[in-house]
Amino acid sequence: MRNFDIVHPSSWAEALGLLSGGDEGTRAFSGGTALMLMMKSGFYAPTRLIHLGALEARCSFIEATADGGLLIGAAATLSSVEASPVVQRSAPVIAQAMKKLANVRVRNVARVGGALAHGDPHMDLPPILAALGGEVLLCGPDGERTCPVESFYTGYLETRLSQGELITGVRLPPQAGWRSAYVKCTTRAADDWPTVGVAVSLRVVSGAIADARIMVGAATERLTRLTSAEAALRLGAPDAATFARAADAAAQEAVTVDSASGSAGYKTELLRVYVRRTLAEALLNGAVQ
Amino acid sequence: MDPSIRKIAFTLNGQKVSAQVESHINLVDLLRRFNLDGARESCGQGLCGCCTVLVDGVAVSGCLTLAQLVDGKSLTTVEGLDASGALSVVQQAFIDEGAFQCGFCTPGFVLMTHQLLETNADPDEHEIRDYLAGNLCRCAAYPEIIRAVKTAGDRMRAIST
Repeated sequence: MRNFDIVHPSSWAEALGLLSGGDEGTRAFSGGTALMLMMKSGFYAPTRLIHLGALEARCSFIEATADGGLLIGAAATLSSVEASPVVQRSAPVIAQAMKKLANVRVRNVARVGGALAHGDPHMDLPPILAALGGEVLLCGPDGERTCPVESFYTGYLETRLSQGELITGVRLPPQAGWRSAYVKCTTRAADDWPTVGVAVSLRVVSGAIADARIMVGAATERLTRLTSAEAALRLGAPDAATFARAADAAAQEAVTVDSASGSAGYKTELLRVYVRRTLAEALLNGAVQ
Repeated sequence: MDPSIRKIAFTLNGQKVSAQVESHINLVDLLRRFNLDGARESCGQGLCGCCTVLVDGVAVSGCLTLAQLVDGKSLTTVEGLDASGALSVVQQAFIDEGAFQCGFCTPGFVLMTHQLLETNADPDEHEIRDYLAGNLCRCAAYPEIIRAVKTAGDRMRAIST
């Protein structure tokens, strides 16, 4: 690694100002687990890192919103999300997924904002937050705005985060009545990056699937919502036959990509299996109260 | 002066210390300058746990931590565990259960075990496996390591009651 400057802004305004220059070598840096790997491999050589440490305390909140939703600050560590009683109650799928995300040390320092900003489709959190209907909260030179997690990713490592913008948090709508699950498949070792990750959220009303969201990560170039698979579920009975139809639709719809962890064709077949399994697990998980 | 070099001050195993550090060096490199070699960079990617260090009491991967960012913090390495002259309960349990062969990964396992037992005094086997999943032992002393964690937990509970 080459040397670079590390700057420590003490306010959001200062951090945004430092990021507004349009310099590719300037990056916001928090837990740093993802950026450090890019820097160590020589994939990214920064000239200046904007360390957000001084802003972390006021942006680490995890709280229930008045409408029964959830608000998670960008600087909340993945460990704090995992341990949060509010998360365990109102979005248990997130807390469960944390247990198999990287390892304890990474979760101790990696933060929700970074997990959203990184844009690697292999990350576990974006598909889950998208399936829950989450919105990314952004703050930039032109003020605050939001973007649905499901449409935040435009390509591999590419997001809708604009120049000079920072993620301040993520907001989830009320999950009452929704059943959710996230299942990933790692093809080399249990703790490897996923080859396919599927997050689903569905609502069953009077014995029929009233609403569903299905997100796929890892197997595709970017986080992708599988709308035809969702359509195959709608108004069907939550049973194996309906889930199999949705799985076939998912396999048809998703544009999987080749990588060292498997060919595109192999990932398509994995996706067919994992959509079915994730839907079954969501049903078993029961509805959030 | 080169702005990428900065003087930092921190607490290292109970001692107040300072160092001039370049921006790119990581926590393992920093510890080498203090002649501490318990934390080792092995995979360099935060996967293996050999470089585990406690920063303000929280386990992190030293290889993924920029040295300048520990300014003002308190670090504990495996060398700090027996600073009183006696091995820690966890260290003794690892010896008694034969929970290592080459010993390269052991400091990481020992520190992670301390952290686990701090939050969960009586973990079951599943919880131990989950917690230590990010630590690799290439000699595969895993059964003995799990026994050592249980033994350490039993002894710590016996001391505290």
